[in-house]
Amino acid sequence: MSDGRVRALVERFGRACRHLRETSARTGRIARWEVRRSAGTVDRKTVIALVVMLLAVGTAGFSAADDGLGLEREIYVVGVDEGSRYYDVAADSEQFRPVPLADVIAEHDGATDGDDIVVRGDATVDVVVTRDGRIGHVGENGAAAYDEFRTAIETYNANLMADEEDHAAAYPVHVTLEYRDRDRPGSTVSGGDDGDETEAQTGAVDGSNETGDGESAADDGGGDEPLQVPAIGGGGSTPSTGTPGSIAPPFPFTSLVLAFLFVVPMNFVIQAYGSTIMDERVKRRGELLLVSPASRSEIVAGKTLPYLLGLVGVVVAIALAIKGGPVAIAAALPIALLFLAAAFVGAMFARSFKELTFVTVTISVALTTYTFVPAIFTDVTSIALISPLTLVVMDLQNEPIQLGEYLFSTGPFYLSAAVCFLLGLGVYREEDMFAQKPIPAKVLDAIANRVRGPWSLPLLSILFLPFVFASQLLSVALLFAVPQSVAIPLVVLVAASVEEIAKSIHVYAGVTRSRFDATLRTAVVMGALSGGGFFVGEKLTHVVQFVGLPDLAVGTAAFGPAVSSEPLVLGAVFLAPLALHVGTAICSAVGASRGRAGYALGLLTAVLVHVAYNLGVFVLVA
Amino acid sequence: MRSLRSEKTILLALAIQLFIAAFSSFLVVGLVSLYDPGSIDGDRTEIAVTGNDTDTILAVANEQAGVTPRRYDDPERAHDAFDLREVSAVVEANRHDDGRLSVRVTAPEGDLQTSVLVVHLRETLTAVERIERQRNADAGRLEQSPLPLPSSIQASSYVGFTYTILLPLLCFLPVFISGSIAVDSLIEERQRGTLELLRVAPLSLADVIDAKLQAIAVLAPLQALVWLLLLAGNGTTIAAPIALVALVAALSLLVVTAGIGIALWAPDRRQAQLLYSTATVGALVAATVLPEHPANTVAKLAIGNPTATTWGLLVGYCLLAVGAFAALRRVIGRLEPDSL
Repeated sequence: MSDGRVRALVERFGRACRHLRETSARTGRIARWEVRRSAGTVDRKTVIALVVMLLAVGTAGFSAADDGLGLEREIYVVGVDEGSRYYDVAADSEQFRPVPLADVIAEHDGATDGDDIVVRGDATVDVVVTRDGRIGHVGENGAAAYDEFRTAIETYNANLMADEEDHAAAYPVHVTLEYRDRDRPGSTVSGGDDGDETEAQTGAVDGSNETGDGESAADDGGGDEPLQVPAIGGGGSTPSTGTPGSIAPPFPFTSLVLAFLFVVPMNFVIQAYGSTIMDERVKRRGELLLVSPASRSEIVAGKTLPYLLGLVGVVVAIALAIKGGPVAIAAALPIALLFLAAAFVGAMFARSFKELTFVTVTISVALTTYTFVPAIFTDVTSIALISPLTLVVMDLQNEPIQLGEYLFSTGPFYLSAAVCFLLGLGVYREEDMFAQKPIPAKVLDAIANRVRGPWSLPLLSILFLPFVFASQLLSVALLFAVPQSVAIPLVVLVAASVEEIAKSIHVYAGVTRSRFDATLRTAVVMGALSGGGFFVGEKLTHVVQFVGLPDLAVGTAAFGPAVSSEPLVLGAVFLAPLALHVGTAICSAVGASRGRAGYALGLLTAVLVHVAYNLGVFVLVA
Repeated sequence: MRSLRSEKTILLALAIQLFIAAFSSFLVVGLVSLYDPGSIDGDRTEIAVTGNDTDTILAVANEQAGVTPRRYDDPERAHDAFDLREVSAVVEANRHDDGRLSVRVTAPEGDLQTSVLVVHLRETLTAVERIERQRNADAGRLEQSPLPLPSSIQASSYVGFTYTILLPLLCFLPVFISGSIAVDSLIEERQRGTLELLRVAPLSLADVIDAKLQAIAVLAPLQALVWLLLLAGNGTTIAAPIALVALVAALSLLVVTAGIGIALWAPDRRQAQLLYSTATVGALVAATVLPEHPANTVAKLAIGNPTATTWGLLVGYCLLAVGAFAALRRVIGRLEPDSL
């Protein structure tokens, strides 16, 4: 008896193993085909053209590297006589083009009235240096030009001082800047922050000639200053030192630029990846693979694998090159996955190459923004953690990263990538791949494909949460700099709309694709299930609170206030969202069962109710 | 022409560009406000000033916006006040025997306030350095006296960015996207084999390609015009809008012609797009060898300070575009339609 069961178990295990082996074998074969075909289609003339182009660009870029791009070259005009002391300032500065004073100033100026500078009507000039050394500005951009001229004078002075023999006289002020954590009195902060600071500073000192930036243009001789000056105080950290102009706010500039390197190759890889997926759909080429014994997921896995491996290789290579640790690689990986997943869905939905181009550009821009912008604020606020790139920046600054932080910032990426692949797989079938369907219909197809029975509704609600989460975080991050009076209503509106769509889109898809009856009773049940699922999922995302996001007023607007400790309040806080989610979901589900216009109406009502609720809670708490 | 009837694609293109513009503006506002506290309305923060020579710092800091100095005789007390959060930073200034002023600044660990504070302190200390330098120069210790700095005024920090980055971006993006559409549009017809169908129509291959090229090339200057109008509506003066649109039109014709050429030459889309994007990005880099980078030309035309070189380059681009177009027509005229 038990013997038979064991045998059955062994047999099943063996079958599973065999299945796995076959699956991986088929996946591997498709991957090999993909590589061979891609390598095969790059013909010799393309390679030659590319090499020639790269050589030409390389030479040009190399020869121009000294001057920079020259984007700001001579955008302002300054009227100054060659005899003036300020003439050299204008001549040395990149942004200014000096013109003789006589060309721009009306005759008999200065002598008669002391204050006004009268400019000739036909002259274009932004800044005027009169013969008696006064500096004035003209026209709309004059003020900005004047400000730049001031900076240029500072640069000029800095260069003058660099030539001086007497360092002590030329650099009379020496500044030491140190940061201290006030919560732990007496302990100066050491570690990554300062390390980066010093690094950035050395860069500024070395590069003062190239950058020509007035503020950071410190001194060539001043680089060795810290040796001459006796050390004051005995702080345990390595504070940054230098001239007043060289101190800078804590800003991980170098690490940020390096972290950006991880994202750059992904933008190129998804171009090729999108093309190859799209190629399958042109002229029904993919049909041959579809009728082969390989399953849809095996085909997609096989076609994705080479690109994923390629990206992993690139990421590892970059990490090695810029001395990033394993954490940097682990943080860059989900970004790569999401790039590929989004490109896959895009290529499945696009109807032509043109659309694919737009889709890939959108993906590039959106994901690059989403990862890069928050990372700018790495040192400022914990909101930055919504981007895995922040982890890379932190890793490059040798800051420790907790597992919780890693999960918080990469979790949405992993989940979103998984959901994207799932949705794309849903339409990886004959009737969607080779048909010219409108995109919304395809989206509904993709979602409806995942709707199997009523219990898939709450599951889908939960699965959509990463997107909800990501778009809400993005709106918080984007509106971070906007005044709160504008930002909070906007965030509330965006959050409510996104949540309502996430709760109802699969219900609508299910109804229109006849997965469910369009009766009132079913609609109520579907709405309740979907809303309930969303509620459960949302409770899971309260992981957010561990990172302390609700400290920010804007964060509260998106995610609801932090849970209070009183039992009664706790109960209300716990149950009120449940009622809200179920209620609004039913509202839009009932709308969805009445067709397209009904769905729009139901959704609108749901969003309005949600906004009212959120604002009510917000006012109540705040 | 037919392929552009779906105006949704163009709307999408506009949306993407708007997004990019918003993104870059956001980036700059964020960065500028990190570095330029004048753009954030910060209230004045109190700082403790201590040490054996504080007169200059106190005098300068009193004039300075954003900080209020408070004198502490005892450095210990100043640091205690810092720990008790009575002051935001401690500035300890000591005069050395060689006449140097050594300043030790203690600031709280990183948050946004600290960044603002550090920038304020930098301004204060730079002003102190200027005064000290002038004193040294008057005492004859310096060979060259530093130039006196004119008083600072309130000026927008975004002017330079708008003209040198945002505007060129808005002018070149439509051009780049137009070229990309051109590549896609032609290569798709080739790959799907629909070019054959068109040849049944009473049109020559040159007519078909011409129509595609013109329809796509016109898009970019139109979009650029929209951006210019939007910017003008936002209060940015564009000095030479006609010249700018002409420049974009010329570049668009040039890039679209190149795109069509690549699409005729390359075997499939992946390679065509690869070649096209490499060529465009490469051209932008290679353009640095010109006396003026195209982005610089845009900036100068927009801000109203064009030179003879600027105008010369504009004419050059126009001639080049027309020349490339003529060359492409000749090539197409000789091309066997069956070879595609």
